[in-house]
Amino acid sequence: MIFYFGSSLFSGGKDRIPYGTPQVVIVTVLDDATMSEQYRERVVENREYYAEMQGYGTFYPNVSDYELLNSPSTWTLVPGLRHAMTANPHSTYFFSLSPHSLIMDPSVDLDEHVTGKKKLESLMLRDKPVVPPDSVIRTFAHLKGDKIDLILTQDGEGLCQGSFILRRGEWAKFFLDTWFDPLYRSYNFQKAEGHALEHVVQWHPTILTKLALVPQKLLNTYNVDSPGRGGKDVMYKKGDFVVRLIGCELDTTRSCETEFNVLYDEWKLQMKNSGN
Amino acid sequence: MSLSRSPSPRGGGGWSSPGLTSPYESGKSSPRRTYGDVKNNGSAGTGVTWETAKARSDEVKGHPSYSTQNQGFFSRNARRLSTSFMKGRDFSDREKLGRGRIPTHYDRAVRLLTALGRMAWRLRLRLGIVTTCILAFVLFYATPLHRVYRHTSWLGGGSKYVIILAANQGGGVMEWKGPREWAIERDSVKNKKRYAKKWGYELEIVDMSTKKRYAHEWRESWEKVDTIRNCMRKYPKAEWFWWLDLNTFIMEPSYRLQSHIFNDLSKSTYRDINEYNPLNITHPFKVPYLDNVARSPTGNSQPDSVDLIVPQDCGGFNLGSFFIHRSVWTDRLLDIWWDPVGYEQKHMEWEHKEQDALEHLYTNQPWIRSHTAFIPQRKINSFPMGACSDNGVDSRIHYSEQERDFVVNMAGCEWGRDCWGEMYNFRELSNKLNRTLWEKFKDSISDRIKAFKAKHKKEGDDGQ
Repeated sequence: MIFYFGSSLFSGGKDRIPYGTPQVVIVTVLDDATMSEQYRERVVENREYYAEMQGYGTFYPNVSDYELLNSPSTWTLVPGLRHAMTANPHSTYFFSLSPHSLIMDPSVDLDEHVTGKKKLESLMLRDKPVVPPDSVIRTFAHLKGDKIDLILTQDGEGLCQGSFILRRGEWAKFFLDTWFDPLYRSYNFQKAEGHALEHVVQWHPTILTKLALVPQKLLNTYNVDSPGRGGKDVMYKKGDFVVRLIGCELDTTRSCETEFNVLYDEWKLQMKNSGN
Repeated sequence: MSLSRSPSPRGGGGWSSPGLTSPYESGKSSPRRTYGDVKNNGSAGTGVTWETAKARSDEVKGHPSYSTQNQGFFSRNARRLSTSFMKGRDFSDREKLGRGRIPTHYDRAVRLLTALGRMAWRLRLRLGIVTTCILAFVLFYATPLHRVYRHTSWLGGGSKYVIILAANQGGGVMEWKGPREWAIERDSVKNKKRYAKKWGYELEIVDMSTKKRYAHEWRESWEKVDTIRNCMRKYPKAEWFWWLDLNTFIMEPSYRLQSHIFNDLSKSTYRDINEYNPLNITHPFKVPYLDNVARSPTGNSQPDSVDLIVPQDCGGFNLGSFFIHRSVWTDRLLDIWWDPVGYEQKHMEWEHKEQDALEHLYTNQPWIRSHTAFIPQRKINSFPMGACSDNGVDSRIHYSEQERDFVVNMAGCEWGRDCWGEMYNFRELSNKLNRTLWEKFKDSISDRIKAFKAKHKKEGDDGQ
């Protein structure tokens, strides 16, 4: 009886969005095992600052919260996003951002920046090979902005799952569940969830048809000059929205935290100067 | 008697007042249109009664005056029929009798006859309607009209269902068909054709012979997905698609899919696989990160969220007979059902190909479960004793003659059993179970004669 009442309440509330629901939720996966406490705190501080300024929500799934069945810990972002949607059943957009990155310009309103229908239609890269340079699968040429559920960027190497926007809905569940299939996780894709993403996008038209590629710099600039991935053109410049410490976790000669701290200081300085 | 209006004399002569009507008719005089409305009153001069005039007026106007107007096409025609029904009769003769002036010396028999005639006369409308109904009924069922009705989507709704019959499975380049295979195919196709025709369903017979789809790979029997997709394209108005393997036989053609299954999906299917779970799939998902619907054992519990209806046999899902619904969800399922990464890792292991792949999807991907329902196997997919026979007869699996199971699937008969023999036996059984009364009568007589002869012969043998 109580269950019935509860379920009817739940389904009845589908159309009504509770007051104070954030339109966008920022999702960043943290890893207690590989990130120091200070590092995690600073990442959270950076996201919270932005979220508060724009009235967005935040969600921080932790690698240890999910059963990954021996697959690389980077896969956490997939169930983490599913979790964020469960926790925020009324929010529209979920901005998935790698922990090794900073939001440098907190004044960016995502709707004006990229997700708005007209804006997105003007930004979408149409008929573009999904995986550079010459995948035979190309993004569709005639998609409407309001039909898009996944906004991705690509760099010189491939699709970037370090910073993307997903719209909540049945499609998002389908997409995440498919992406997380154990057969993809056990397949030994060289770049784990990154290659799995490229695989599902290229093989399954029901996924491709909901995908928009946007220019990389909108969501995804880099702090290092990586020639294979766009080089100087996509390096962070003052005024860019997001900077990612691309590849820091895979390169043993680099330290994500050290690089992060450099940018963190710069971000702090900027915030101080702008009077916030 | 009372006059419903004042008498009105007419220029053409003849009678002019409703007061001249026979008293027997007075009870029916509800408001009538005036006689003046009738244009062709040339014959009004002699021997015309209120009745005939009314009948003719009705013929002209098309509306029966005793009922509310606009009863629709059918009743208007019924009226026309019923008026013409009595046309052969000489109205002027009746008029002489019809005024309650029957002489007392009339013979009783004659009087009885007259009374009967009068009754028939008074009941002529009802008789007409009854006759029309019987006629319409006969016409409806004797002509293809009832099929048109059953087929039309907004009447019988038959065109919303497509039966996909997989013919020529595994044939083609892999093996040649012998006479038995041809016979199976002929019988199976005929059986489905009849059934589809009876209820106005669409029937799509597809050639499933093994094809080399791409130059570098064999997608043995994976064409199921492509075939369903093609059918959805071919029948854009259809909603439900019923996949049937060739080795199936519809035992009870009188069962209608709508009443058998679809009118009450929540009763005819079950969402919680724990009800019968031969694969021991953990259900529902226990992981906390999923939403309520994905963690519920029955999805959102609404029948309209069911897009796939699958029976389970002793070994898990059985795709020899299943239903799939046109929907966005189905597009997605058909899209990811076959995936090269899964195929590459599992094609040695997945003996039943797309069936195993579906089980894998159901086991691992929550979005699949919230739109999948299961159906008790015997509702659409009873097995003969030869299949799933390790544990003897199972009332959940095996065909029951007493309970008149709908469809039998001779699953696995090609592996060491006699497909044609099974098909033949089931065909004969179905014919026997579905005899008409007359056939049963004839059979019972011939049986008795046979029994008598046998007995006689036996006695004769004993005597010698």
